[in-house]
Amino acid sequence: MPEKVRLKLTVNGVEHDVLVEPRMLLLDFLRDELDLKGAHAGCEQGVCAACTVLVNGEATRSCLMFAAQLEGAEVRTVESLAAPDGTLHPLQQAFMQEHGLQCGFCTPGMLMAAYELLEHTPMPAPDDVREALGGNICRCTGYQNIVNAVSAAGSMAQAGQGTPTAPSAPVREVPA
Amino acid sequence: MSSVEQPVRRPDPATVQDRRWVGRSVPRKEDPKLLTGRAAYVGDVSVPGMLHAAVLRSPHANARIRSIDTSRAAALPGVVAVLTGADAAELVEPMTAFCAEPVPQHAIAVDRVRFPGEAVVAVAATSRYVAEDACALIDVDYEVLPAVVDPIAAMDPEAPKVHDTLGGNVVFHRRVDFGDVEADFASADNVIRRTARWHRMCANPLETAGTLASFDPFTQSMTLWSNTNFYNFLPWTFANMLRVASNRLRVVPCTVGGSFGSKHLINKVIAIAGALTKATGRPVKFMEDRVDNLAANDNVGPDRIYDAALAIDGDGVFTGLRLEIVDDYGAYFQFAHGQHGNALSQPTGPYRIRSLSYEVSCVLTNKVQQGFFRGAGADPGNLILERLVDAAADELRLDRAEIRRRNFIRPEQFPYKVPTGNTYDSGNYEGVLDKALALADVDHWRAEQKRARAEGRYIGIGLASCQERSGYNATEWWFLYDTPPLPATSTPESVKIDVSAFGQIRVELGCPLWGNSPETVVSQVVAEEFGVEPDDVAVTYSDSTSGAISAGPGGSRLTIMLSGAVRGASRRIKDKMIRIAAHAMEADPADVELVDGHVRPKGSPSKAMSMGDVAMLAHLFKETNPENEDSGLVTTFTYDHPYASLPTKDRKDLGAFYPFVSHACHIPIVEVDVETGVVTVLKYYAVNDCGTLMNPKLVEGQIMGGIVQGIGAALMEEYRYDEQDGSLATDTWREYLLPSMHEAPEIVIEHQETPSPFSEYGVKGAGEGGRLVAPTAMASAIDDALKPLGVTVSELPMTPERVVAALAAARAAGGGSSDG
Amino acid sequence: MKPAPFDYVAPRTVEEAVDDLARHGPDARVLAGGQSLVRLMNARLATPSVIVDINRVAGLDGIAVDNGSVRLGALARQRAAELSDVVRAEIPLLAEAGAHVAHPSVRRRGTVVGSIAFADPSAELPAALLALDGEAVVAGPQGERTVAAADLFAGAFQTTLTHGELIAAVRVPRRTHARTGTAWIEVARRQGDLPVCGAGAVVALDDAGAIASARIALCGVGDRPVRASAVEEALRGVDAMDDAIAAAAERAAQDLDPPSDVHGSAAYRRHLAVVVTRRSVQRAVQRAREGAVHA
Repeated sequence: MPEKVRLKLTVNGVEHDVLVEPRMLLLDFLRDELDLKGAHAGCEQGVCAACTVLVNGEATRSCLMFAAQLEGAEVRTVESLAAPDGTLHPLQQAFMQEHGLQCGFCTPGMLMAAYELLEHTPMPAPDDVREALGGNICRCTGYQNIVNAVSAAGSMAQAGQGTPTAPSAPVREVPA
Repeated sequence: MSSVEQPVRRPDPATVQDRRWVGRSVPRKEDPKLLTGRAAYVGDVSVPGMLHAAVLRSPHANARIRSIDTSRAAALPGVVAVLTGADAAELVEPMTAFCAEPVPQHAIAVDRVRFPGEAVVAVAATSRYVAEDACALIDVDYEVLPAVVDPIAAMDPEAPKVHDTLGGNVVFHRRVDFGDVEADFASADNVIRRTARWHRMCANPLETAGTLASFDPFTQSMTLWSNTNFYNFLPWTFANMLRVASNRLRVVPCTVGGSFGSKHLINKVIAIAGALTKATGRPVKFMEDRVDNLAANDNVGPDRIYDAALAIDGDGVFTGLRLEIVDDYGAYFQFAHGQHGNALSQPTGPYRIRSLSYEVSCVLTNKVQQGFFRGAGADPGNLILERLVDAAADELRLDRAEIRRRNFIRPEQFPYKVPTGNTYDSGNYEGVLDKALALADVDHWRAEQKRARAEGRYIGIGLASCQERSGYNATEWWFLYDTPPLPATSTPESVKIDVSAFGQIRVELGCPLWGNSPETVVSQVVAEEFGVEPDDVAVTYSDSTSGAISAGPGGSRLTIMLSGAVRGASRRIKDKMIRIAAHAMEADPADVELVDGHVRPKGSPSKAMSMGDVAMLAHLFKETNPENEDSGLVTTFTYDHPYASLPTKDRKDLGAFYPFVSHACHIPIVEVDVETGVVTVLKYYAVNDCGTLMNPKLVEGQIMGGIVQGIGAALMEEYRYDEQDGSLATDTWREYLLPSMHEAPEIVIEHQETPSPFSEYGVKGAGEGGRLVAPTAMASAIDDALKPLGVTVSELPMTPERVVAALAAARAAGGGSSDG
Repeated sequence: MKPAPFDYVAPRTVEEAVDDLARHGPDARVLAGGQSLVRLMNARLATPSVIVDINRVAGLDGIAVDNGSVRLGALARQRAAELSDVVRAEIPLLAEAGAHVAHPSVRRRGTVVGSIAFADPSAELPAALLALDGEAVVAGPQGERTVAAADLFAGAFQTTLTHGELIAAVRVPRRTHARTGTAWIEVARRQGDLPVCGAGAVVALDDAGAIASARIALCGVGDRPVRASAVEEALRGVDAMDDAIAAAAERAAQDLDPPSDVHGSAAYRRHLAVVVTRRSVQRAVQRAREGAVHA
């Protein structure tokens, strides 16, 4: 039985001191140990990027990383974007405005990849968006509205439409 | 409350202008939970004591299982149950199938595996990790049999049989002639022949199929949390399969991460989870991973070889159509020939073709089985017809647009009955064509094309005018049988509307959320009906105990059916509110109306009662209300298909089964690198007519998504099974390719609205449209690009290698035209 | 798809890493970017019993000029290399080929050395290293040794490294010839996919405009990256005109034994080899003429 790995990492602003099996993927650590269900498993092969979260500010496929690698790391997931009072992050507002999602399964990955892009390129051109999000697969939208949404988010943020930063605890609808 | 008979409604021109919500791009109600990671997909649902399942799959296409040793797996710490097919067969029934033929299927194979990836053992353990560890410890001894891969070879009576219960691998064959095909071909001035090959593809939603099953042995009842669609349509099939009484099964819908038709039943996943929960006495979740889904889903699309001919008279008018089809169904026949029933809704397209011969051979091979995938069989039907039409244009030296104009059904001819018996409700095809040609600025692109050719580059302009049938009726699943096993004729949709004592409206849906927008649509319809705002309306999802019979999304039916169900429920509620309010006002109900969320005597807005006022009376003040009025303000309305008829006994008339027919014209612009075969889509134009637009932005989303799926079908999506041993080469997303953002072009869409006379508000379906037309339009574009080099596309996907091969073949044949 | 169990060690120095690898034998694997390895492990196509995570080893991420070469340490990320001024100025082919690898977020984790060590015969970076005449600096129990790119690849997903060894860095010689141009051309199913076939060309022109030398390496046409030697020979001394280049490129398909898979049959890969060879040489020549080594 492999020895567990002890590590301290910060997720959505909350510090965790944990013991994990070496093979536990970061994706499963977030979803199953921390109950953050936003990052999704689409392929577990690094192809679809539905599992994208930010690790030390970089959009990362959480299915291709072991939690054990993350000593001292800062991780952000989609749950950190909206404010607890129901205010959506400008990125999320833009996706809603531009109809950039349908089934929502790829959306958290798109949002986190877009978040990183906007940190470096506040007013991205469509080609910038395609370059940054081109590895995120969507089967529903045909992508155009996603490109529009990320471009629009840049403009919205410039216009100073509030950026809530409080990390939220994992909460989701539970089907009865 | 008694049900009110639905008359066939004609759209009232006056009310179109008055509409406040129907027709507006209202933002989606579904979005906040999806955007914030709060939606509960099956993978997110946890219950105490839950176990996780993994499945060991056959590497072989065709093999007998000699023995299975599960002892090492069972002994692994964390493993709670290990079930072979024989074990599972003691707990659950074989898969529900809608075919008449004896093609038995078990979720976990018993004695014999028939496709690579068929389940052989299922494990329940404390985590998916451990369950997979256990699978790695299972030893299966196979006797490998020759794989049946090529469908033509499979038709040979001497070929190895995929099922010993059948005489051969042609599980179904039928030819039906509609109209006088022989005469039309005999008298034709021209007969155009084409063949086409449409390869095996599947839906590949980002979320796979999954189910959490929890069996209570003390009450012999079971709860499923699942992303299946048919929990309110055919819940008894699940109950039967799981050996649970139909009144002791509860299916709870979860948010679904896409389906595109592939999650209608998901029987295998449900049976595996069900068997494991019974075996362990604990809840068990089986979530397919991507390999599970690719290798073994229930629902791949058609895999067809067409041999077709079009008869044309002296005026360039199409008269008759002959289609001979071999369709590779894979190893099982769950939905029978459903994807052909579907194709028979519109095989003659938007044209006045008056006779049709449709001959289909459904062949079994050692591959994953067909089911339904967006387009559901009408997609290759569009391809072969439009290839014939383009070939006819070439042959007769007519412009592609001109030959279509000459043959379109005219606006005044609707409702139009096609040779198969289906009805097209309304249309204006020339209008759509004209708009599309203008939108695409074809002259500009022709100039570009000429410029490019001078530089040795090949640009192509595609054109496809295709039908997008919507609002299916269950008859299409079985009408090619003379003696169908289940001749169902109901395809309803139900909603419950309840108005609280405060007058606040909640709608409970009978359908799940697939990524379409049922919450938004019903909010818009309720807002329209009651004069409230869509934001005022709350929407929830019922589970299978609601009795809200609903076929759910699929066949592009949902907006049509929800409009009808909500309107029907709204009318009942409004009528009751008016009766109660009128009684309170001492007025005649005929003199009272509900406007802007208030009930008032007609013409006296000052005497209005709020919905809350009326609702409170309804809930709690029986003695104040009219004598026969029950307390409460709630109703479940079941909207049955509003325009359906049965097939005749001889099947020469299949009835009206898909009467809401949307239409589109797509014009893709492509560039083909003739050295590498790579096709790039430069731009994409589409004009779509899905009747009254409920929510234009949402319709555009469906169209764009469907177009990109169609580009996938045209260029890259394909199952590949090895010709020798039948092994599956495309079992991950590194081999089965989906278009990424880089392959998706800018799509420009315009709408035309030709309302349906048969639906509420005149809406038609839009969900499958993009994918029904795009593959065909892309084939046309590639053809147009490579015309000077003598290549015509007759196979999809047209991978770069196939393009290069076609160019080489054309060169060898001395192909190429002089019109450069 | 979940990985099989393994033990995890995170050494702090190269020596410790070598020690861990030597101790655990052939069942131990190095984890750097993980973008290829973890994918294999999730599919259980790789089931190492020990993972040696070298991400904590300091000083391995350098990208710098080292005598006549550019040296990239084992933890130099692909994206960093792609954007590095040093790489773009001195060995631009590596940046150009590298920009085709997957997607930016993958390249931010993936390492140049990792991709080379993974030795996927379809991948860009091993072929680019071969075209650039690079070498691997290998650390092992016996100390350090150098392996030329031509001697590094043993077969599909196999290098000539032995147990206990890891590639600590790669070195790529800076261009010495004034009129040198390089180019990477590939054909992939989708942007970001592994190429079906790709070619990296390094071409030097003499004062008269003829081809003084050419180095061309191909991926996707064998069980390892392949030098298009017959083409190189045919190009030597030839006037750098398009039809001469095209004629020479025809030889690219010679002596090739490409694999067949869903993305391309052997015949199609042979066909592409000629096309990408021709196009990469033509572009390299164009750049050599322009004096700009990287477009």
